[in-house]
Amino acid sequence: MSRMLVTGNAAAAWGARLARADYVPAFPITPQTEIIETLGGWIEAGELDARMVTLDSEHSMLTAAGAAAATGVRVFTATSSQGLLYAMEMIYTVAGWRAPFVLANVSRALAAPITLEPDHNDVLAARDSGFLQLHAATCQEVLDLTLLAYRLSEDEGVRLPIIVNLDGFYLSFTREPVQIPEPSAVDAFLPAFDPGGLGFSASRPVSQAVAVLGGGPYSYFRYEMHEAARNALAVFDQVAADFGDRFGRHYSPVESYRCDDAEIAFVMMGSFATKAKDAVDQLRDAGQAVGLVRPRMLRPFPDQALRDALVGRRGVAVIDQNLSMGLGGVLHTELSAALCGVPNAPVLASFVGGLGGRDIGASEFFAMVDVAREAARSGMPPVPRLLYTRSELREMRKLQGIAAAERAAAGQPGDGA
Amino acid sequence: MSDQLRSFFGCGLDDERTFDLDDYGDVVPRWCSGCGDHGVLNSVKRLMRDEQLLPERTVFVSGIGCSSRFPHYLNTYGFHGIHGRALPVATGIKLSRPDLHVFVVMGDGDCCSIGAGHWLHATRYNIDMTVLMLDNAIYGLTKNQTSPTTPMGYATNTQPKGSFLPALNPITTTLGVTNVSFVAQTADWVPAHLLATIRAAYRHSGFSFVRILQRCPKFTAPLFAEQARTPDLHEMLIHPNGVTVPGLDKIYKRSLEHDPADIDRARALSEESERVRLGVFYRNESQPRYDDIRHLPTHTAAQNIERLNVELDRYAV
Repeated sequence: MSRMLVTGNAAAAWGARLARADYVPAFPITPQTEIIETLGGWIEAGELDARMVTLDSEHSMLTAAGAAAATGVRVFTATSSQGLLYAMEMIYTVAGWRAPFVLANVSRALAAPITLEPDHNDVLAARDSGFLQLHAATCQEVLDLTLLAYRLSEDEGVRLPIIVNLDGFYLSFTREPVQIPEPSAVDAFLPAFDPGGLGFSASRPVSQAVAVLGGGPYSYFRYEMHEAARNALAVFDQVAADFGDRFGRHYSPVESYRCDDAEIAFVMMGSFATKAKDAVDQLRDAGQAVGLVRPRMLRPFPDQALRDALVGRRGVAVIDQNLSMGLGGVLHTELSAALCGVPNAPVLASFVGGLGGRDIGASEFFAMVDVAREAARSGMPPVPRLLYTRSELREMRKLQGIAAAERAAAGQPGDGA
Repeated sequence: MSDQLRSFFGCGLDDERTFDLDDYGDVVPRWCSGCGDHGVLNSVKRLMRDEQLLPERTVFVSGIGCSSRFPHYLNTYGFHGIHGRALPVATGIKLSRPDLHVFVVMGDGDCCSIGAGHWLHATRYNIDMTVLMLDNAIYGLTKNQTSPTTPMGYATNTQPKGSFLPALNPITTTLGVTNVSFVAQTADWVPAHLLATIRAAYRHSGFSFVRILQRCPKFTAPLFAEQARTPDLHEMLIHPNGVTVPGLDKIYKRSLEHDPADIDRARALSEESERVRLGVFYRNESQPRYDDIRHLPTHTAAQNIERLNVELDRYAV
């Protein structure tokens, strides 16, 4: 085992390398490109015995990934943001093929307006596709969850593709010390790809994911995918226990940080949760009983683990780095459903923050604790809030003023801003 | 559209404004120094100045890539779209607003890779627009990955030992599409030819496709370095119906007489050759134009009279 200083992107590439991915269909997109470049470099240097094909788009890339997995090889691919959306037709389709493979998604907010920085609306667009989702917060987790994902994906009770998500820029380009396991140890943990019922054989023809007419067979196959995804809850625990025994790093579907006696808990996903950890430490130093609950797994939704982590707390601040237009934060909604009707469920306060890579400052975490505490005291869930400072609003108004002046100078009607 | 009709729509034949280069955009582009895109932008501005294009009647549409920043640097309407989709956006604009002149700026990634399906169909639809395909033979914005036009053997970050396949030839590809109407090739390092070619494309009625060989000083400098400083490595296609630049033959001495009406010869000439061929490969204004046949919106005679009356009422005293 060696310890290296690598980026989140390189950690994802290491995951694919150690998993001995056979086939890597690729297409560049910021901030993911480093992953495929790293793999491409290793392959051509002879350090990784795999085939990489650069395709004309993410749509073709996901098609090739699913098809290759369906012929019985281990597949890794990676994308981001607009690329994931462009591939969305195939995201649903290859999940229905029950073709197990791993897709690293480097989260980046979606157009329009176009940007490069992260939030989770891209990966949440794949939420209902049949892909399972694991969300990393550190570079070490990116590598480890990639290895776990292969075991989980290829388990005979699951057989679904998995997205391992890491935040663009904040994690993709941040170097952290990462334990790189010995290849032989990974081989023992993750045996060679078991094609299961997949694969081409002239003497054993099979049909996979053929067309159906009528809702009966369709419902059957779709519900079967749902059950396979639910199976993944128990399988993850087994696989993670084995991983922990071998490598000494233990992963649960939901991480609880300083939660033992916490009255108030933050709930959030991804690398921004490390900011919440920092805020928790500061609040603990100030004598406040605050903790963090971080789902590593979003699909299947670890509802029981979240109930275990949250029931009995007084208040919970859910911070969504996404926005479902016309509804609000997705995690808040899902958590509300998980806690609905449960005795002693805490009052949830909903916050949307970190959109398009917007930072979440320590003082905002402190303010959210106050809101959550007040909600717990009154028993009334507060109105959902967008994290946005006065100075940000002032800056925005200034820009709108400039735009209005430009429009007026050009003799165009303005919006009165 | 006739000048009479243009005037009716308020495009102002009697418009007394005049435009110089800076009126079409005076921001410093965010391209690397030495990037061929600067030269293309300058040529486009010169064309607009020479033709006195009205900024509010001109649209630049792009996709994603270095060259797709183009609309930001021009004081015209602009549409910075999503990767590969410049042509469908331009199609929508032109069909709903035939009075606008539509320029499309794409790179080799946008046009030949992720958006290649649109390229084929837009060529066949032959909608009146000027298409500039800035080909630097690399994915530049994502920093050095193999593109469809990267020459075989050229090392990139995704194929460090060199691109495995022969490069896609955008000229032969376009010439192979049914109903193609204008195909030309030029290079950013021959500015006079660049401007003349863009002008010929602009004046062409139909889908005019110009491949511009474009230097990328960061990632494909070796591909173009010798070419750009050696006129002898070029062969100019010349013909009264093609592009002629007075005096250029003093420097670019190798030339070939080619009638752009001859598609078979155009196809033959577009194949790999010892020298890079610059000029108009094919031009045919008699090909049917989709926007001509199916232009939108269509109005009845009564509606047109009503619209005309509304317009005339503006001048009632």
